[in-house]
Amino acid sequence: VITIPKKLLLAGLLVAGVTVYMAYLGASASWQYYLSVDECLDRRPTLAGSRIRVSGTVTPKTLQVDPDRTRASFQLQGAQGGLGVTCRCSLPDNLAENMPVVVEGRLDEAGRLQGNKLLTRCASKYEAQLPGHAPRTAARPVENGR
Amino acid sequence: MNTLGEISLLVAFVASGYAAFACLAGRGPGRRAIGQSGLAAGLVSVAALSVVTGVLAYALLVKDFRFQYVAHYSSELLPWYYSLSAFWVGQAGSLLLWAWLLALLALVLRFGSREEAGGLEQPAFGLLMAYLCFLAAVLVFAADPMESNLALAPRGDGLSPLLQHPAMLIHPPIVFLGYAGWAIPFVLAISALAAGRLDGAWVRSARRWAFFSWAVLGIGILLGAVWAYEELGWGGYWGWDPVENGSLMPWLSGTALVHCLMGWHYRGVLKKTVCVLAIVTFGLCNFATFLTRSGIFSSLHAFSQSPIGWMFLGWMVVLAACGVALVAVRRSRLRPDRPMTSLVSREAAVLISSLALLLLVAVTFLGTVSVPLSNLVLGRKIVVGAAFYNDVLIPIALVLLAATAAAPLLRWGLPPTVQQRRALGISVLAGVAAAAIALARGVRHPLGLAVAGLAAAAVAALAAALVLDAQQDPSAAFGWKLLRLLRANRRRYAGFLVHMGFVCLVVGVAGSSLGTRRQELIMREGETVSWAGRSIHYAGLIQRELPDKSTLEARLEVSEGGQPAYILLPGQYLYRPQFESATMVAIHSTWAGDFYTILHGRRGQDRVSLTLVENPLMRWLWTGGIVAAAGAVWGLWPARRPSRGTPPVPRPKGAALRRRTNTIRVRGKP
Repeated sequence: VITIPKKLLLAGLLVAGVTVYMAYLGASASWQYYLSVDECLDRRPTLAGSRIRVSGTVTPKTLQVDPDRTRASFQLQGAQGGLGVTCRCSLPDNLAENMPVVVEGRLDEAGRLQGNKLLTRCASKYEAQLPGHAPRTAARPVENGR
Repeated sequence: MNTLGEISLLVAFVASGYAAFACLAGRGPGRRAIGQSGLAAGLVSVAALSVVTGVLAYALLVKDFRFQYVAHYSSELLPWYYSLSAFWVGQAGSLLLWAWLLALLALVLRFGSREEAGGLEQPAFGLLMAYLCFLAAVLVFAADPMESNLALAPRGDGLSPLLQHPAMLIHPPIVFLGYAGWAIPFVLAISALAAGRLDGAWVRSARRWAFFSWAVLGIGILLGAVWAYEELGWGGYWGWDPVENGSLMPWLSGTALVHCLMGWHYRGVLKKTVCVLAIVTFGLCNFATFLTRSGIFSSLHAFSQSPIGWMFLGWMVVLAACGVALVAVRRSRLRPDRPMTSLVSREAAVLISSLALLLLVAVTFLGTVSVPLSNLVLGRKIVVGAAFYNDVLIPIALVLLAATAAAPLLRWGLPPTVQQRRALGISVLAGVAAAAIALARGVRHPLGLAVAGLAAAAVAALAAALVLDAQQDPSAAFGWKLLRLLRANRRRYAGFLVHMGFVCLVVGVAGSSLGTRRQELIMREGETVSWAGRSIHYAGLIQRELPDKSTLEARLEVSEGGQPAYILLPGQYLYRPQFESATMVAIHSTWAGDFYTILHGRRGQDRVSLTLVENPLMRWLWTGGIVAAAGAVWGLWPARRPSRGTPPVPRPKGAALRRRTNTIRVRGKP
């Protein structure tokens, strides 16, 4: 005879088993490497075609945004070098030069990151500007729309 | 002003430290004076923190740029209400707000609580003062909101346009109030464990505080979702961002705590689970702070490379270690009062749904820390996407919905009565009928059908439980009986209302997740397109120059069924002095769904780039939140005290049995 605690344990194990299996399915469908620009540059040959998420800073004077804000290209700066990025997605309103950003996408054959998602830091400015740090400036549209 | 604020902050730090020591040490015979001095020091600390809060709020209102904080987050052109909201935008201000709210709640616990905490008010107050001392130390040594501005900033840097939204006026303080609220069940549990007073008296007080914190944090999270939906301009309301997860996790574990506290209260079961959940929930509130301030998580939200996050993590580890050690020491006294006698009982439903909630917390936690965790274990940093969370959420939401559907027709400790079993059967039939109707109306997704069926079953079960309750009183007309029941069993029916809100919310989440459609398009002025059963005519651009911004809006004239229906004006604003653009979405909302439009910008002379989004059942999501919040307010509303001179009502025979089986109180009947 299965006692009530054992029945409860079985029900719990069933719920836990389904949860773990679904977590496994979700993880295998959505995982991606999280890299800094320098790590991405070092491992560029092995990353072709892989989903990656790269963090870096938008290099000043490289940010170009289409007037309809559906495409942006810029150089993502790391400590050692820079990575060219083209993003075709809805761009965050506060995207600006000198801003730390995270880009999701894949490297193309030329080694350029083709992004489909762009995250910027939150508008709630928890961190103070460092002394001597260059101010952030908004992107100038390639074609002045207004 | 700066000096007054700085001195007050120091006073708050020192006084809260002494209050913690004296309240914890001042227990027992012959130490009453020490305890009283601790209480006085606590009052001084709260008063000093109130002064600091008042100084910063005043400085923001009058835009006193001699304060570095004001110069950094406000500007001359900012309206006064957004300037005041800058209080909780920055790190120092948000921590000050948290500390001040915690101080106020400590006062309410010590002096205003109508529920007896079993004599644990003093040590609980002392523990809250210890936490307040920690927060004050962070403010004094790492994030000073009173710091003087040495640079010349005559106009101020200004508030980010993204934060200039009505939901942002109240979302952060409400979330912080929720975090502060979860400290109270935690300190009550620790005090009860330390004092060995585990008779359940503290549970009465903890239940009320847990329900309050649960409701407040839930409202805060929902307001954040409203802000993301209307302000971020991507068509969604939840992105499984680490900072969003940070506030969700304590809410989920808190939901389990609220239900397990009922198990202890009514049946004397789940005692260890209650203590562990109180510790975990408050620990997760601290973890949320660590997330936003440690700088090690990739997030849409702010990061800072400051030591503050690590201070919170260290503090969280200490709290959790002490709490778990106390549970281990008292484990023999935390055994259930009686064994579980039925699998089809309310405590079994609570146990299974709590397990489901904790699994969701665990999965969310693993997903949130996946980057540092994978780096530690695999040597490579791996991040998981939204599918990881969504895939887990599906079975858990179904389990929770099923438990919600069954709960009103279950009893504590006993299997359902014949009437309850019959009502359960009717609810199942209602669920099957609803799923069939959904299928006939074109819903093909199995998950959509399951949610429709379970939601209908839950609503039917709530209605059936109400009818069964009313049938226990044969003395009056049905409507009158119902009114009397609602008054006499407020907490029970407030719970019903909260569950009803949850059902609406799940319907909204399922509809908007499964049925959403997007279309990106470029429209020429005068062009008309047909999409999702409506005709959209782009009539032209409206351009305006305002003192603080330039605005650009596309006029979209929408027709439905061949008739002009409404006009939408999605826009792009360019704010000065930040020179930052902001997307202003335009939404037409009905019970069937939202038509959500985004203007990306102008393309050429007469064309614009737009995104159209169809989000079904969104209004159900927000309505669910409002209904649940209304249920929480109803449940928390203070009961009328008996007037002086009224003789106490004698407890009827069998009251204990009635409480344990959760039978309905009917006025005039024992």
